[in-house]
Amino acid sequence: MSSARVMTPLLLAALAAPALAGSLRYAEDSAPAIVNPLYSTTMAEARVNELLFGGLYADDRDLRATPLIAESATLNATADELRITVRPGLTWHDGKPLTARDVAFTVETLQDPKTLSTEAGRVDWVQSVSVVNDRELVLKLKRPDPQAIDKLFFKILPAHAFASRPVTRADPFRTKPVGSGPYRLARFGDDNSITFAANPSYPKPLGVSEIVMREVSDKSYQAKLLLYESLEALVRVLPRDLAVLQKSRKVELYPYQTNSWWYIGFNLNAAPFDDERVRQALACMTDVPSLLAPIGTGQTLSGPFVRSSPYYNHDVPPWPHDEGRAAELMKSAGFTKVGEYWSRDGQALTVTVSAHKTLESAQEVVINLQSQWRAAGVKVDVEFLDEAAWKARIWKQHDYDVVLAQWSFDRNEDVREQLHSTGARNFGSYKNAEVDALLDSARASRDPAARKADLRKVHALVHEDAPMIFLWSLDSYSAVSTKVRDVVVHPFAYFSFVSDWKMQ
Amino acid sequence: MGASAMSVGRGGRLAFAALRRVVAAVGSVLGATLLLQALVGLAPGDAADLAANDPALRDALSAAWGLDEPLLTRWSRFVLGALGGDLGESLTVRPGASVWSLITAAAGRSSGLVAAALALGLGLALPLGFGGARARRLTLVFSAAPVFLALYAVMTGLNEGAWALIEAGKMERPGWFALPDADSGLRWALGACALAWGSSSLAELQAATADELTRLRRAPFVLAAQARGEPAWPVALRSLLPPLSEVAASQVAVTLGGLIVVERALQLNGAGSLFWQACRLRDLPLACGLAAAAALVVAGARLTSDLTRLWLDPRLREAP
Repeated sequence: MSSARVMTPLLLAALAAPALAGSLRYAEDSAPAIVNPLYSTTMAEARVNELLFGGLYADDRDLRATPLIAESATLNATADELRITVRPGLTWHDGKPLTARDVAFTVETLQDPKTLSTEAGRVDWVQSVSVVNDRELVLKLKRPDPQAIDKLFFKILPAHAFASRPVTRADPFRTKPVGSGPYRLARFGDDNSITFAANPSYPKPLGVSEIVMREVSDKSYQAKLLLYESLEALVRVLPRDLAVLQKSRKVELYPYQTNSWWYIGFNLNAAPFDDERVRQALACMTDVPSLLAPIGTGQTLSGPFVRSSPYYNHDVPPWPHDEGRAAELMKSAGFTKVGEYWSRDGQALTVTVSAHKTLESAQEVVINLQSQWRAAGVKVDVEFLDEAAWKARIWKQHDYDVVLAQWSFDRNEDVREQLHSTGARNFGSYKNAEVDALLDSARASRDPAARKADLRKVHALVHEDAPMIFLWSLDSYSAVSTKVRDVVVHPFAYFSFVSDWKMQ
Repeated sequence: MGASAMSVGRGGRLAFAALRRVVAAVGSVLGATLLLQALVGLAPGDAADLAANDPALRDALSAAWGLDEPLLTRWSRFVLGALGGDLGESLTVRPGASVWSLITAAAGRSSGLVAAALALGLGLALPLGFGGARARRLTLVFSAAPVFLALYAVMTGLNEGAWALIEAGKMERPGWFALPDADSGLRWALGACALAWGSSSLAELQAATADELTRLRRAPFVLAAQARGEPAWPVALRSLLPPLSEVAASQVAVTLGGLIVVERALQLNGAGSLFWQACRLRDLPLACGLAAAAALVVAGARLTSDLTRLWLDPRLREAP
């Protein structure tokens, strides 16, 4: 009791001190489980990796691929060999030089099956690596790939900093990471926070001396903390918090375009969703703008790209909300209206909509969708799954009817994994030989115009087949304290331009 | 001779009590870890599903982590590892980190909270126990209230009130602001209160105190002391400790359960919060390690209570 009496004022006094000048605190729902780009699985980890590590290439402010660790990368005439030159004079956080051998180590470690890396797919297009000298290396590609340079965004790791070979998750690197990014890891806090200090050897001076990742699991509380000046940045503002943050003089909202879109995805292995007329009918029963309105603003879509994408086919309109057309399609699929529900073989059409528990605003969308489809004659059950159940039921066992979900893409907007019959993320089992051929052709194409044409055709075909009802891309906002200036946020990795940010 | 026999009898009783509790502890640890493995196994998805989307990698991780093994094989591997001092590595909560280091760090953060909650329960139970039926009803009513909602309400009220004063320039930003984000003594104190109140420790301890006091008021040795004009409270207090230590020991398990909710609500990263994460992320080695540690703590508390009762209660100590 007496020690508590002594300790409490000391503790309070220590904590009453304001944040260090130049310290920027941002919130994550869940702290990164591991700080090692070989084993990243979450966006929180991707953001931390962006602070600590660099890639051969990175986005510039116009989101064009620009060399970062690489000085140059040259593809040979047959597009199956990539010669990379590493920028001279680069060093790791511990002062050791960054060489082509580190790049080769990164590729080989990612590819080594014993590493059990979750990011191996980032280099699965590489056949072999050969180091020419400290500054040059050659990547031999598995097949010609004119877009290979766009795949050089994976984070480069220091060969000397790993204790184990093959590298394992338990490698001490996970608590003492060494990178070449603008920040180095200073400490882990007992409250799951991570503090990053400016890298003094970074090629340009940094305007924020310290960045602190705070774990704030209650998402609705994050905006409050920003208003209370207990945080300086929120990666993504919930639509319901926009109005209150907009009113604050101490907070600036930064809109950004993400390559993310929402969809209602069908399990094509499960009847009656194997019948495209049923899928199309459900699309016609869906009033997409009414689903979107309560959760924010955005653009409705008719295919698997955001509207600002060069691959979006503007000639294809979204499915109309047309109950008459839906009824015709249902009848053509053998359904009849019995009472208030569509039935076939004496069974009323019943759909279970599965959504991920952590998908923001999913609850509002699912409840409104349930109401729309019920009104149109479809019984709807709803389930919300946690991450483990989602991965097991949807990804592994394909045990579902319909999902409400979202896909996010990097700058390549490569939808092959989602739509190709062999795609790893095509858990709805969509198959269309023409779409497969177009996706393969787009990937192999050296001509951007031809690639665009292929993907626009994919858009039209997928819209018609309706393996998914494409919903919208949401307008996203980051909220940052007005104490931070020159803020530009990257739509995917958020901190890509942090070296330009300045704290007042 | 008589003293020596008594001494041997007392030592034997203590040893027997200890042995009984050790056997119970081993049984609890084995049972808790087996049950947990079975329950987590029944839940959809496993650590490999969470760590990988690629089916080949998922299978490789599943094999590497032994998740594809039958329940009993997996459990016996955990038990054998634990006997050898190796609790394994965390799979998903802190991939690669030693489970032992995670548990010790989290237990260090939680032990103070649990001890404070139990001490608070005991400290308040004694004066409230003298308060009779009215105080007992009052405690029961408060214990039935939604404690954790009340906790949120208190934190929101404190935050909004403090922020209004800060904005108006009438108060410097206090160190505890804003709850529960800032690490502060106030957050910790709220946690201890919520744990004592919400896990029913306070109500149970108060009820036990009141019952014991009722019994003691009519006890011959208390009446005799009063008749001699001596103060009765030293005798009464000594008589209160054995039953209260028993109730307090039984409350340890409940308090550990309450820790999960309190630590989540107050963003305290202790053992309760870690256990919740381990179950959510299907981190079997970590969840089993924490369950084993909790079972040992509960058994340790019961052993301490047994020894205290044997030490203090002459009826138990000197019984044939």
